[in-house]
Amino acid sequence: MTAIRIDGVARAFGAVAAVRGVTLDIRDGEFFTLLGPSGCGKTTLLRMVAGFCDLDSGTIHFGERRIDTVPPHKRNAGMVFQNYAIFPNLTVNGNVAYGLKARGIVPDQIDDRAAKALKLVHLDGYGARWPHQLSGGQLQRVALARCLVIEPEVILLDEPLSNLDAKLRVEMRGEIRQLQKRLGITALYVTHDQEEAMAISDRIAVMNAGSVEQIGQPVDIYQRPATPFVARFMGTTNLLSGSVIRHEGDRAVVRAGGHDFLVGAPGIAEAEPGKAIGFSLRPEALTITAPGAKPPPGWASLEARVVRIEFLGALTRIELALDSGLVLHAAAVDMPRALAEGPVALSYDPARVTAFPGPCD
Amino acid sequence: MRLIPARSGFPLAVAAVALAFLGLFLVYPLYNVFQASFFDPSGKALTLANYVKILGTPFYRAGLINSLTVGSLATLMTIAIGVPMAFCVARLPVPAKPALLALAALPLVLPSFVGAYAWVLLLGRAGLVTQGLREIGLDGISIYGKQGLVLVYTLQTFPYVLLPTLAAFKAVDVSIEEAGQNLGATRWRVFRTVILPVVLPSVLSGGLLVFMETLENFGVPFVLAEDMPILSIQAYKLFVGEMGANPASAGVLGVLLICCTTAALLLQRYYLSKRRFATGARSVPPELVVAPWLRRLGACFAWGVVLLALVPFAAVVAISFLKFRGPVMHLEPSIGNFVLLWQRGERPLVNTLMLATGAAAGATLLGVPIGYVLTRYRSRLADLLDVVAMAPFAVAGTVLGIGLVISFNSGFLILTGGWLILVLAYMIRKLPFNVRASAAILHQIDPSLEEASINLGVSPARTFFQLTVPLMAGGVIGGTILTWVTITSELSATVVLYSGQWSTMTVEMFRALEGTGAGTAAATATVLILATILPLALIYRVLKRHEVALL
Repeated sequence: MTAIRIDGVARAFGAVAAVRGVTLDIRDGEFFTLLGPSGCGKTTLLRMVAGFCDLDSGTIHFGERRIDTVPPHKRNAGMVFQNYAIFPNLTVNGNVAYGLKARGIVPDQIDDRAAKALKLVHLDGYGARWPHQLSGGQLQRVALARCLVIEPEVILLDEPLSNLDAKLRVEMRGEIRQLQKRLGITALYVTHDQEEAMAISDRIAVMNAGSVEQIGQPVDIYQRPATPFVARFMGTTNLLSGSVIRHEGDRAVVRAGGHDFLVGAPGIAEAEPGKAIGFSLRPEALTITAPGAKPPPGWASLEARVVRIEFLGALTRIELALDSGLVLHAAAVDMPRALAEGPVALSYDPARVTAFPGPCD
Repeated sequence: MRLIPARSGFPLAVAAVALAFLGLFLVYPLYNVFQASFFDPSGKALTLANYVKILGTPFYRAGLINSLTVGSLATLMTIAIGVPMAFCVARLPVPAKPALLALAALPLVLPSFVGAYAWVLLLGRAGLVTQGLREIGLDGISIYGKQGLVLVYTLQTFPYVLLPTLAAFKAVDVSIEEAGQNLGATRWRVFRTVILPVVLPSVLSGGLLVFMETLENFGVPFVLAEDMPILSIQAYKLFVGEMGANPASAGVLGVLLICCTTAALLLQRYYLSKRRFATGARSVPPELVVAPWLRRLGACFAWGVVLLALVPFAAVVAISFLKFRGPVMHLEPSIGNFVLLWQRGERPLVNTLMLATGAAAGATLLGVPIGYVLTRYRSRLADLLDVVAMAPFAVAGTVLGIGLVISFNSGFLILTGGWLILVLAYMIRKLPFNVRASAAILHQIDPSLEEASINLGVSPARTFFQLTVPLMAGGVIGGTILTWVTITSELSATVVLYSGQWSTMTVEMFRALEGTGAGTAAATATVLILATILPLALIYRVLKRHEVALL
């Protein structure tokens, strides 16, 4: 049971900085996810922890043990690869037993432990099969068993679900999460899929261009993004820039795109009038009512026109235009029956607006 | 990029061993050749006198010009034949394509001077065809001289152009053609403006191989050039004549040969560096529907070239079973030639088999780890290793042989006169092929497999032997046997390095050609052809999978 401490880690490839001074404290038994678009440095960081990529500076510790100077085969950090990396020349059993043999475990113990590991991933009885006889999901389970059987201090997962189809992906992520909690093992997980990250993680570090933008629990990251990048990356949002005009109590009126928005984000009271700020308004925070309807007390309201309706089943996305031509996106669960293109009233709770210092581009 | 691969003893150890080996048996001998050519006989003062002397002699100037002319003509001819043939095979319904392709690669591995000799048996002064033609009044067709050299080289090396070009034609997705036509271009215009430029780098890579091969070849001009001066032959003759003294003149010719090949190599690299196209067809482009006459023409052309290249070899096998009295052939079946060959001793055959086996094993043992380090651990040191390990490609066998003799004739390590020097020369010469073949195989193995093994606690060195080598095995065995086959017919270095009891089959044939033993030469040729064909037939399945990778 091990915490992972990544301290001031950096790496450049030629002139490109892949990871710039990242510091992370991953707690013992935590499911921690590195989330970001491709090229953000998340996989590089994971490979540094595994030992497949060198550090230009910084340190990595497993508990008290410094491991960035330890060769990769002595780190005892089990890794699950994006393409499974199942040895094609070995049976399922051979794959699972591979790490045990390397550790000089006696043969009858190897069989025993391999069988237990396969049971853990619901593949009991598959030991004698060859990799080419298995489906993608089964290969992924073999990879998990192979990684868990060596009783690693931590497990590292590099986009393990990206090669599975959508339905299996959802199923497998639940299983991985369950298994990790049951074994109480620290997990470091890499993905570019924000929904997957939120579903599976205790905490998430959102990365962009080699740096960490925000660390936090999924709910916080979604609802209180620290930067415009995080707001934009975690689902769709309305990202606007404007300047503070005046204050109304602890809220501020911000003029953006020719309209006044009421922003109730924490700390907004300190923003001087005239200061340029950016803010994010999630589509689901916008409520659509008939034109002229009264908003709930304390809410702000705007007049708008519905210009496009996109019915997605459980969710409906609605595109709205304000007088000035500014476009906002709203989302509603269950398609409102009466919704049609035309004038409507928009209202929102100013407390659900997130503000950022400086305009967002 | 880092100077040395980080945190990894294994690649460092491989690089160190490989560089030490290549330093001693490749760089040091070549340095000695350079030194011999640039220093005066005392070995102290730098001088260009040797170059002035050689290049001032019309005979040697002619040798240089002839070599370059023949090489360039042969390169142009192979491209002129190889590219249309590749297109025919890729896009037209040519009958029995698998068989055609299997046979088309054969001329590359069949001993080239055996091919040259076969043409002499057919079209030489006393050749079967020449005599036949003479009877119907046709005279004056000659296989000797420039036209003969170009003909034999073309038929022998066209697969160097054909195979990569064919792969390139197949890698152009059909949607590219459709896109071109959709934008309003005719088929021919699309071919000229898109497809041809995309396959051109492959054509040129093949052309370079042809040029290198013709420049360094020793056996073919020995059989066909007669009095015409050719660089590789002149270097050999000068060296044999200079034995014991300072091999300055042979050194000059050697350096000139290396300069020509290196210049060609750099020219090609420079050209290709600006033209890299990512292709990768999702499916092989379909065969074209064309008029029947065009289809038949394509089929005749493709099969015609392959048969023309192989018929002489079949002929020489047939001729070896005819009765010879001195140089005169009689149309009477006989195994006399083989009996005569056997009576001269079985040592050359045993030597050939043993030396080829040792050298092929050595080249594999050295080449596979080098290929592994080059593909998996990029670093400055790996780049240096890449350059050094590929260098033998640009060094003529004769020149390497001369360097080895100068270097290990005396001093701290004496190797001349033994078998080891032959094995070393073969290993060095075949190393680039082995390294490239290994790298090609490794590119098909996902590196994350090795990472998974290391991650599970197996050290990089053990991972290489325990996981990577078994995964590579099929391709490596194929490559080793191909190496073996080409070593059995090596002549240009052997002829410089062999001594008395370590004579090989190729040397026997060389001697038989020098003397009058035409029958024995034919019998030797047959043995060499069998030594090529039999192992290839055995591993045909393995080779097929790596068809182009092993080129």
